[in-house]
Amino acid sequence: MKRKLRLSRVLLVAAAILLGLVIALPFLWVVSASLQTETGIFRRPPSWLPDPVTIDNYGYVFTGKIPEAYAARGLLRSTVTQEAQYLPIGLQNSVMVATSVVLINLLLGTLAAYTFARERFRGQAAAFSFILTSRLLPGMAVAIPTYMIIRQLGLLDSKTALVLIYSAFTLPFTIWVLTLYFRSLPRDYEEAAQVDGCTRFQALRHIVLPLAAPGLAAVGAFSFLFSYDEFLFALLTTSSLNSKTVPVMIATISVNPDASYTLIAVGIVLSIIAPIILATIFRRFITSGLVSSLGRA
Amino acid sequence: MQAEIGLRPNLVRRWANGVPAHPWLTVAPVLALVALFTIFPFIYAAVTSTRQMILTLPDQTPFVGLKNYLDVLQDASARQAAVNAVVFSVVAVTAVTLLGLLVALLLNQPIRGFGILRALVLLPWAIPLVSAGIIWRLLLHGDFGAFNGLLLQLGIVHSYIPWLSSRQLALGAVIVAHVWREFPLPAILFLAGLQVIPPDVVDAATVDGAGAWQRFRYVILPLLKAPLLIVLVYETMIAVTVFDLVYVLTGGGPGSATTLFSWYAYAATFHFLNLGQGAALSFIMAAVLLLFIAIYLRLLRVGRDDT
Amino acid sequence: MARKSLRVWRWAAMLVALSVLTAGCAQGGASSGSVHLNFMVWSYGIDTIQDNIKKFQSSNPSVTVSLADTSWFNYHDTMATKFTAGGAPDVAYSSDHWLREWVSAGWIVPIDQYCPSLASYKDEWAPYALQGMTLNNHVYGLPYYADMVIFIYNDKLLKQAGFDHPPATWEELTSQAQTIKSKGISQYPIDIPMKKDDPWTIEIFYSMVYGRGGHMFDSNTNPTFAESGGPAEQTLSWLRSAYASKILDPAVFESAEPDVVKTTGSGQHVFTVLAKYNLAELNQGQHAQKGNFKMALMPGSQHSTVGFVRFYSLTKAAVSHGDAAVKASCNFLQYFGGKTDGQYKVVKRWAVEKGLGFANLPLYDDSDVSKSINAWGNVDLERQQAKTANVKEGLTRWWGTWDIYAREQIDNAVSGSSTPSQALQNMNTKWSQLKS
Repeated sequence: MKRKLRLSRVLLVAAAILLGLVIALPFLWVVSASLQTETGIFRRPPSWLPDPVTIDNYGYVFTGKIPEAYAARGLLRSTVTQEAQYLPIGLQNSVMVATSVVLINLLLGTLAAYTFARERFRGQAAAFSFILTSRLLPGMAVAIPTYMIIRQLGLLDSKTALVLIYSAFTLPFTIWVLTLYFRSLPRDYEEAAQVDGCTRFQALRHIVLPLAAPGLAAVGAFSFLFSYDEFLFALLTTSSLNSKTVPVMIATISVNPDASYTLIAVGIVLSIIAPIILATIFRRFITSGLVSSLGRA
Repeated sequence: MQAEIGLRPNLVRRWANGVPAHPWLTVAPVLALVALFTIFPFIYAAVTSTRQMILTLPDQTPFVGLKNYLDVLQDASARQAAVNAVVFSVVAVTAVTLLGLLVALLLNQPIRGFGILRALVLLPWAIPLVSAGIIWRLLLHGDFGAFNGLLLQLGIVHSYIPWLSSRQLALGAVIVAHVWREFPLPAILFLAGLQVIPPDVVDAATVDGAGAWQRFRYVILPLLKAPLLIVLVYETMIAVTVFDLVYVLTGGGPGSATTLFSWYAYAATFHFLNLGQGAALSFIMAAVLLLFIAIYLRLLRVGRDDT
Repeated sequence: MARKSLRVWRWAAMLVALSVLTAGCAQGGASSGSVHLNFMVWSYGIDTIQDNIKKFQSSNPSVTVSLADTSWFNYHDTMATKFTAGGAPDVAYSSDHWLREWVSAGWIVPIDQYCPSLASYKDEWAPYALQGMTLNNHVYGLPYYADMVIFIYNDKLLKQAGFDHPPATWEELTSQAQTIKSKGISQYPIDIPMKKDDPWTIEIFYSMVYGRGGHMFDSNTNPTFAESGGPAEQTLSWLRSAYASKILDPAVFESAEPDVVKTTGSGQHVFTVLAKYNLAELNQGQHAQKGNFKMALMPGSQHSTVGFVRFYSLTKAAVSHGDAAVKASCNFLQYFGGKTDGQYKVVKRWAVEKGLGFANLPLYDDSDVSKSINAWGNVDLERQQAKTANVKEGLTRWWGTWDIYAREQIDNAVSGSSTPSQALQNMNTKWSQLKS
């Protein structure tokens, strides 16, 4: 019995290691590729560790200095694209859009969720179901007409369009999670606060929001990740540096046969830094948020 | 002071002082925004789909009735895309669900060091889908894919396999990338489901002499019914609309082997510049998905009755 | 306390409002007195282009130029979106592929009308290039480069297999490739770019059909490619059997032109069909196989091939930006496509440094140019091939759309998802749909 237990434990640990490798190896390879010269990853099999280690590819993105290794020509036919140098601007656009979406979610989402949790009004049930149902409609189904609408509004190629679209897609989730949170909080505190002379607004600010902080963190992280990662709408509505986000830029670079593969790897590394940090810091909140939104109705 | 806000200071003051202004005031902006990007596009698609709208013929947009729909129904490529989408969805959803379940069962084991794994699991899901897709292209490329290099080194293959060029393998390659990216979500949901199962229920079954499989089949699985249904329907919706991966991995190729329905709709609009047909395809897709949503909501209600 | 918290909220609200409001209007106006031009290209030789721009700006201090590039794959789609949705450049690369579509949609304007001084160059251009840029008696471009699709082989590996001459027909190519494969010299002796997103695919397919003496369309641009057992079907069937017997690289469907150059250049393949300038790329630089590559006439009974022109175009955006923008654009076009100090400076630079072909006939008499061509190619063979080069047939307003569909069908037939005749029938049906 004891041996059996130990064996199953070994198997479990083996499975866990396998899982860890499956998750981590693709990430590690792309980091390694970004630090290589083109000839290194063209070897069969490729060199797994960068040899020599070069940061020239990153250098090109940030300074425009063309890596010396590219002078080899022939095998390395034309290897740079101007687009790669725009990545820092794309990162800036992505963060600006995502942050705006987070702020809108925290402001409009909190107010609406608080109303849904604490008020009773005509049409409340209908409004709530409408918001919740809409969250389920995947973007692809409305993407093409949305592109046409944005075009008619004259908002093509603007960050505003992205902020509006992403807010519409994240607010339902936010409201759902926060309404559940607010409802789970006892009313007594707010009522006591109001008796003490606080306005309703102050009660929300000082009593409710601190208690709902985990929920706020979850919806903030979630709306940031959604906006930062989103590709389809950004692809359709953006066309210049004015609004192009990172996913659009790296997708364009990656399907460009004239961009070197090491440069593409650099693009990926730059694109995943922010979400990885965020997901690691906010892991608990994201997990609980997802579970409460999708798992329990 | 309040006047600084500028907009209707009366209402704001009333609300701030605890006299509820009309609650709609807080809900309306959200409703408007959400409607603008869900119901409105749906209607817009319905209207546009009845016109000829071709980007290179900007001045000719006659009413053509259901022609755009008929064109789609008669197009062999559209049927192929629908078949591809069904195959992709069935395989991908099954794989994502099973893997998610297995990973959840694994992570639920009280073994030291698994905490790191729980943090790691979230990562494929957190990064942009296009980044995940490009990573997999670098791994699977037929001429210099790192995965091919690994297989060669391990002696499993003798020459590189063109995963993304082969008519038989390409769809499988897209599914692998999709599963890698999608499994964290079900894993988290199942894990949450497992963690609320009281240990004494499982212990009781053990005392009754149930083996591991029996405990899973007759005790744990029934308790996971609600998350399981939700995962199935949610992942189906995700799989039916998958787009980003196809864009960076295969572009729908070789030929039309990985042209899924959503890629087909995109190509109709942005490669063939036929907005009318793109709208018709969007409308069809949205209608199908609304059906799924109806099922989903029904299942949620079932799930709630169970718990 | 209460007041302070309210203030915080207000600030938050204002920040949100501001971030939304300012997000849309980040672009500033151009500074007065100078003209700013946007120049759009597909990604190739970006460092060279930037250097050319720098030189142009130093001789035209009142003009600033910003460069944007996108993949050759996406170029057609990206430009269509830019022209219809905003963000169109003032000057841009275009190609004979898309001339009719872009003109009929009103996206580009006649150069002879807006820059009359540039029209005089046309007497020095090869006729097929002029034809590729002319519509309704108006000239819409200045050549960026003009070239043809050629057959390329690795002479060293071919000799190693015991052959002393390149294949003259596709059947001979098959038997040579099979010998090479069986001798273990190359696992996949043939590689041809067939990634369906790559616009080269269609020009290479045309070339293979032309080589057999076939046509894709008749003189009234009616399709003839679907003729049962005709040259197009023979070409597709040949590709299909080459793929099935693994003398064609199984990764062809993810191989675009640069991928083929990379793998062929590393000695993995012996035969390929590419635009001619790639021969320069293959024979130069620092790699083991350099100098081993030669061109041969396109296999088939007629050895004909596709000649094409890519050109600089002036867009409607430049016109809408006013006279100053048009004038600056004309100067820009003059520098890039015309003569400076009596020489086609930029065109010559592309020819000498990258081996790009040219339509500017006087350059054939330039000793620098012929010297550099002979360093990696063969001027005589090139002239012989050029005599039988033809423009792409069927160029119409809807050709660009048909092309995308045709490439997918070609790949379906070669990969075995459909038969050659079925694929050609589908292409024929699509053509009639688009025409109506």
